[in-house]
Amino acid sequence: MERPESDAASEDAMDSFLEKFQTQPYRGGFHEDQWEEEFEKIPLFMKKAPSEIDPQENPDLACLQSIIFDEERSPEEQARTFKDEGNDYFKEKDYKKAVISYTEGLKKKCADPDLNAILYSNRAAAQYYLGNFRSALNDVTAARKLKPCHLKAIVRGALCHLELKNYVEAVNWCDEGLQIDATEKKLLEMRAKADKLKRTEQRDIRKAKLKEKKEQNQNEALLQAIVARNIRLLSEAAGEDEDSASEGLGELILSGLTSENLYGARLSVDDGGRLSWPVLFLYPEYAQSDFISAFHEDSRFIDHLMVMFGETPSWDLEQKYCPDNLEVYFEDDDRSELYRVPPKSTLLEVLQHPRYFVKALTPAFLVCVGSSAFCRNYLRGRKVCQVK
Amino acid sequence: MREDEGDVGGSAGGLASVGSPMLEAGPKAEAAKLLPFLALGARADLQAAAAQHVLALTGSGPGRTLLAGQAALLRALVELAVAPAPAPARDAARALVNLSADPGLHEPLLAAEPGLPARLLGCALDPQWPWAEEAAAVLANLSREPVPCTALMAALAAPEPGESGLERLVRALCTPGYNARAPLHYLGPMLSNLSQRPATRAFLLDPDRCVVQRLLPLTQYPDSSVRRGGVVGTLRNCCFEHRHHEWLLGPEVDILPFLLLPLAGPEDFSEEEMERLPVDLQYLPQDKQRDPDADIRKMLIEAIMLLTATAPGRKQVRDQGAYLILRELHNWEPEPDVRVTCEKLIQVLIGDEPEHGMENLLEVQVPEDVERQLQQQDRQEQEQCERVQQALELAPETQAEVAAPT
Repeated sequence: MERPESDAASEDAMDSFLEKFQTQPYRGGFHEDQWEEEFEKIPLFMKKAPSEIDPQENPDLACLQSIIFDEERSPEEQARTFKDEGNDYFKEKDYKKAVISYTEGLKKKCADPDLNAILYSNRAAAQYYLGNFRSALNDVTAARKLKPCHLKAIVRGALCHLELKNYVEAVNWCDEGLQIDATEKKLLEMRAKADKLKRTEQRDIRKAKLKEKKEQNQNEALLQAIVARNIRLLSEAAGEDEDSASEGLGELILSGLTSENLYGARLSVDDGGRLSWPVLFLYPEYAQSDFISAFHEDSRFIDHLMVMFGETPSWDLEQKYCPDNLEVYFEDDDRSELYRVPPKSTLLEVLQHPRYFVKALTPAFLVCVGSSAFCRNYLRGRKVCQVK
Repeated sequence: MREDEGDVGGSAGGLASVGSPMLEAGPKAEAAKLLPFLALGARADLQAAAAQHVLALTGSGPGRTLLAGQAALLRALVELAVAPAPAPARDAARALVNLSADPGLHEPLLAAEPGLPARLLGCALDPQWPWAEEAAAVLANLSREPVPCTALMAALAAPEPGESGLERLVRALCTPGYNARAPLHYLGPMLSNLSQRPATRAFLLDPDRCVVQRLLPLTQYPDSSVRRGGVVGTLRNCCFEHRHHEWLLGPEVDILPFLLLPLAGPEDFSEEEMERLPVDLQYLPQDKQRDPDADIRKMLIEAIMLLTATAPGRKQVRDQGAYLILRELHNWEPEPDVRVTCEKLIQVLIGDEPEHGMENLLEVQVPEDVERQLQQQDRQEQEQCERVQQALELAPETQAEVAAPT
């Protein structure tokens, strides 16, 4: 046997090797000040693998990598390696990289349906955490095709449907899963949750429908009230007048009734069936305006003017806009005529005037001081009629 | 289920002309003569004719009594009922339906063919069997009585690979299109009868599984009052298990909305009232109808009444807005005895909490004299209801030959 001799030889070699260091420093060791970093670079002692392996920086690691991803290994082995890699990324919550690994594994098209089912199922989980619920659903469907009893895939699929708010599908998947394992807790919980959400959603739909119906009824009632009073409306788009609301005009009005006008007010009806209109007062002298959100049709102009002009407004430079001085007019655009409104008339009386057309469901009136120069100027050259 | 005598009058008439002496002189001997034609190997057209004749016999009381004494005939009938085409399985099954509708015939039927429940069960739960509905109807009839019910329970408990018999039964009942050729409505009353047994209730109310939850949507099943009635009866029987009340009323099962929904109409509640109701009962559309069947309405109220037996149960039922629904129901309810049942439940809901010792009304010991008094009151109430009913001139309804458990 040669052993003792080679042992002796190697022992001698070892001795002389060690003796060297009595005179020379050891050069192959770690540097004192950065030994921890260098420690980390040795594959065996790495706590965390670098996400990219650079062969220059880390030749040992690159070497190991090339061994496990060797193309010469069987597709099953390679797929398994990719699965493990994906799982590792998954544990680190690096779902994007996990998806890539699982995809690589699937690309190997290995012959093991169980392995492929797991790859699909795991990729679905990663996609789920990335928020790609539809991709995840595609993957679990593929997993189930390979392995119909794969419970994890079914659970994942139900979760996806829940996120996508497909509550009926979620319940169905849970039921299918419960046929495989009737006591699977996650499925039981999800089924109850999905069912409740489905029923709540159905309630919300019913509620919205009812609200829509109510609004429609209200608007129909308003329209009827307007028609009954023989008030003429002008639609913005058509610009034509109708004596009574035709089909098309009626719809336009109805949509106008639901939306609020620029000032956030709408035509309304009180319990006694009386209307209140949003009304604009325009003051051409100073290019000012006032908006009355609810002018009750039975109230008189003078009543409002008394309140509004209790104190003269800031823009009234000559302080002449007092209720007694004010004159109210409306314009008949068609004939370019002005009609003077007696302040003691009610809104309804004026609206019912054959030449009054309500534009955009907001009656407008012009107000100025009768005796003023402005007013005389304004009215000059225009035909002014009296409202009887 | 009973086949109307008029239904098969035609065939009875046709065969009677061939041998009308059959039913007069020596009927037993004549009936026995049918036996060879009913045998499995017999000529198909003769077999079919014999089966039709037997079916005709089952349409009358004397006919049924006659057949009851013919064990061999009954056995042959069962064989035909489960035999594949071209055997007259449908007529044989319908004959069995008529026979089983009479409780007095259960003993001779089971004596003649003890395997009857198991064999028909196989047919009823076979997704491919075209006469599964008839098989289910026979079992529904049989299971009303305790002895056949026990036999059926045994058949269901027999070890099967995969799911248990009861699991399969629930699945067949709850899966639309389980059997493409048979609607299987009679599985409802069958399950209802079976739910009189604790073992069935234990299975249905297993908190680790999802069983009773799958029955709940069927309380709204519009196409069959047989199915609906069977499911409601099952749920009512389950409500006797007061240990499960909290779970039943809680979010994992949430039984109360499903019991209230068939009792609710298109009521327009205020926003505030609406918010107190369970989501399933909020904002019901204008065309919402209450359950048209008075018996079902009564069973639903009874089920809710059972859930109010314990104090926590009462609280849950109150909190979930049951009173509102029942109030409206009471205003609408045309049937006197249903209205009385409704009143009683409303009393429980709005009444004071019972004194100590009475927390669980199902377990209270009623002293004998009080018991007698209550029974007398019940009798008087019953009589009054009957008087009212007669006054309303309601035609007496033919009792469905199936499920009225407890």
